[in-house]
Amino acid sequence: MNTGEKPTAAKALMLLPALIVLGLFFTSVILLFSNAFVDRGGFSLKYFEQILSRPDYHVVFYRTVLTSIVVALLAVALAYPIALVLWRAEKNRNMLLIVVLVPWLVSLVVRTYGWIILLGPKGFLNAFLGWTGIIDTPLKLMFNDTGIVIGLTHVLIPFAVISILASLLSIEENLEEASRVLGASRLQTFRTIVLPLSLPGVFTSLMVIYLACVGAIVTPLLLGGITQKFVGSQIYQEVMATFNMSKAAAWSICLLTLSFVSLVVLKLIERRALRGQE
Amino acid sequence: MRKLTPMTRAAGILLLLMLPAPIVIVFGASFNGTGYIQFPPESLSLRWYVEAFTDPRWGRAVLTSLWIAAVTATLITAISFLAAYFTLRYAPRISSWLELAIFSPLFFPHASMGVAAVALMAGMGIVGTPWAIILAHLMVTIPFSYRPIHVALKSVDPDLIRAAEVMGASEMRALWDIVLPICRSGILTSLLFTGIISFDEVTVTMFLIGPDITTLPVQIFTFIQDDASPVLAAISTLSVVITFIAILVLERVAGLSFFVQRQSG
Repeated sequence: MNTGEKPTAAKALMLLPALIVLGLFFTSVILLFSNAFVDRGGFSLKYFEQILSRPDYHVVFYRTVLTSIVVALLAVALAYPIALVLWRAEKNRNMLLIVVLVPWLVSLVVRTYGWIILLGPKGFLNAFLGWTGIIDTPLKLMFNDTGIVIGLTHVLIPFAVISILASLLSIEENLEEASRVLGASRLQTFRTIVLPLSLPGVFTSLMVIYLACVGAIVTPLLLGGITQKFVGSQIYQEVMATFNMSKAAAWSICLLTLSFVSLVVLKLIERRALRGQE
Repeated sequence: MRKLTPMTRAAGILLLLMLPAPIVIVFGASFNGTGYIQFPPESLSLRWYVEAFTDPRWGRAVLTSLWIAAVTATLITAISFLAAYFTLRYAPRISSWLELAIFSPLFFPHASMGVAAVALMAGMGIVGTPWAIILAHLMVTIPFSYRPIHVALKSVDPDLIRAAEVMGASEMRALWDIVLPICRSGILTSLLFTGIISFDEVTVTMFLIGPDITTLPVQIFTFIQDDASPVLAAISTLSVVITFIAILVLERVAGLSFFVQRQSG
């Protein structure tokens, strides 16, 4: 809707509120760095040494990354069939979309609380299995990595469904028809047309879910308990329990670096996958 | 592939039904008469709802979350509209730069964003006030507000604006009578979507609460850690109902097509 007019200075003021919000955001990032790298008025790597020199913290990073990779792959794999169903359900798509959107937008805390009721030692699942006589002692489904993976995967599947569905909906119908007319089987059509063309949605999901996982606090804290530490829960403790802002900031920067490096790796994989497409 | 194989279809539908499962469980638990979860449930009662409604802490948290969501959604929608309108109409060349800046918070893990937000708000001396929460929510929601508005504004034909202005309409008049009505669904999507995000945000918000102020999700989080009384199931159900209503309104007034549009341009 560019009308080709030159803006006046007064009109440029319309940008100001957005610039203030963005300015605040970037200021907060700068403050994060200055908190982490400055000690007693000078540049210091003290807080990073405190973190990186401890083997038990290496385990925390390792667990966070590994869990996030597992969750991202699992969520995308489970979301794909759902996206296919929504893609083909032309008439009821809006209704089904609401079934996906509600769990996506309902607060993280509420969904995690649902999993606590389900998976807890005295939870629904254990009560049910005990009642049917399948088990005698409650299964340990929570306060371990299983709980974190189940919780995070469930929390993040809806996003993957929406993102993959968006990709599927942009596929031209002619392509599929052509493939069918030329004699390709259902599986061949899926493998050569549908799957490759939905890859952008798959990679977007992997990226967003991975990022949401490494930065998660609530789900790991509630479903993982205090022993299964996550980078997010560690950050939460530094701020809320030990009030060590500098160390929390250093943790946050490690987390940022970690996500950035992972994103670059993922982008390289994506480029490879999409190149082999012609 | 006009039709899915029955296997794929069954798997997809089964998985789809799993998505709301924990929410349904919370709903069921909220009507449980006994103080703990059991199967099969023994008695039905509304006592947890009575408890939730008589405890003033919950009422306060619900109201706080609602008004913060309303203020956040209104402000960020206005902010995004002004910015998108200005760049698209007068400075299309800076458009991609502005988008890059606006979408950059999306690449930030929320835990890092929370710490950065505390550092900023502590520097401004406003931690524990509603303003800290609102400012943080503006930063969290700006990409989700800008996107639908930008898409809607892009579809406005510049000739319509020119025609109006040639006929003597002021810029305000053209905005009000032409641009806004065309962008109606984009603006409504932004309002409701960011309102829902703000209402349910917890990871960044929990760093910014204080003794005088807390939001509903953060208070639920605090209570789960202390003791998981079933009153939480009742209050969680209430929070689900509010979000659900907002989504239904969104579907009614603007449709859901925004969510499944391939991001282009």
